[in-house]
Amino acid sequence: MSSYVKSIFFALTTAVTCSFLLTAASAGLKGLQLENIEVDKKKNILMAVGLVNSEETIQKKDILDIYQENIQGLWVSPEGEILDQTSAVETLLPIYIYLKGKEIASYIIPVNTRGLWGKIFGYLALNSDGSTITGFTVYKHSETPGLGGEIEKRWFQKNFEGKKILDQIGGFASISIAKGFLPETFPQDKLPNFVDGISGATLTGKYLTTGLRNVLQTYEPVSIKFRTRQSILIREK
Amino acid sequence: MKLTKTNHYKAFSVPLLQENPISRQMLGICSALAVTVQMKTAIVMGLSLTFVLAFSNLAISLMRNVIPRNIRMIVELSVIASLVIIADELLRAFLYDISKQLSVFVGLIITNCIVMGRAETYALGHPPGLSFMDGLGNGAGYSSVLISVAFIRELLGSGKLLGYQVIPTMAYDLGYENMGFMLLAPAAFIIIGLLVWFQNWLTSDR
Repeated sequence: MSSYVKSIFFALTTAVTCSFLLTAASAGLKGLQLENIEVDKKKNILMAVGLVNSEETIQKKDILDIYQENIQGLWVSPEGEILDQTSAVETLLPIYIYLKGKEIASYIIPVNTRGLWGKIFGYLALNSDGSTITGFTVYKHSETPGLGGEIEKRWFQKNFEGKKILDQIGGFASISIAKGFLPETFPQDKLPNFVDGISGATLTGKYLTTGLRNVLQTYEPVSIKFRTRQSILIREK
Repeated sequence: MKLTKTNHYKAFSVPLLQENPISRQMLGICSALAVTVQMKTAIVMGLSLTFVLAFSNLAISLMRNVIPRNIRMIVELSVIASLVIIADELLRAFLYDISKQLSVFVGLIITNCIVMGRAETYALGHPPGLSFMDGLGNGAGYSSVLISVAFIRELLGSGKLLGYQVIPTMAYDLGYENMGFMLLAPAAFIIIGLLVWFQNWLTSDR
């Protein structure tokens, strides 16, 4: 057998063996991985409303229990009506409600926006006053670790807590990520609508700002309902 | 024969200290900077690399007499890459939170010079048993440096070890502060530098 044929034969055998191993690993572990991703999403929802601290380690089961007890996944129509509907209709938007007893403490909207290298997925939780942010989390992104990747870190997300999506006179202002840290000379009246950015990741911040603005704009009808304290109908399950 | 005199023991212990991949050969520094902010990530990273290194050495050593010389690098790389992907899949299935923190660095084990280096210089010329021990030894050498660096960084940087607070709150009340610098990558550089100096001082003929 000539050495060429031998090389090609050997390469083929290696490739086939490796791909078999990889397929087996991927197929065999898929169930567990998908479950982990689901739990991680729920953990992020709980983190956004402050029910779970990101620094402590929590068992899978506890996360599911806390979620089951406090969070309700619902749908809203583009006009801002919250519907108790389990089936997804295309025009409806997903929303999560944090119920404290029978009162709605906050509502959580899923964030799905463009980043610099790929999509950014996360949750933004707003207080039932329809304006104050209670938390922001990111559970999936493709930004550069150490730069844009810092959006998944606690120090960055903490800046969102207590910020407002309304300006001083009550108009929609969204929430913007500054270029680097906010300077001390930053105008006081705009401070509630800005958070510290990440130095070295200006573009990630820019895309996230646009993304958050779009998401908040889409959910603005719901936010208005909350702001004006119109009765929000949630039927018992 | 004493255990410490066997070739297998030597294959394991030499890379642990005398020929440590990080502090002696200056390989794999990149990941040593990136994943040593916390001990937990450092330990998991060390274990993943040891797993990949030991089994890639074993596999390549088993095939060493049949690999055609002209494609040996490609074969080595596909073995290493497959093992890394398997390690990554395992982490995502069983240690999801840590695998998220390690992000790309597990995948980057593929390009870690230690793995390729051991395959080329050791596994191709030694029998499987010795190669496996050499992989374990190099992995342990890498892990030991990683864990030492992470120990110092986590203790001084956030006052914790393995996520548990070890510096009492009383110390903070008295004005003690965490060293923020330890959380940044340059701190790892300085600590590795000090470790290298310490090791040279220990092993030098005085």
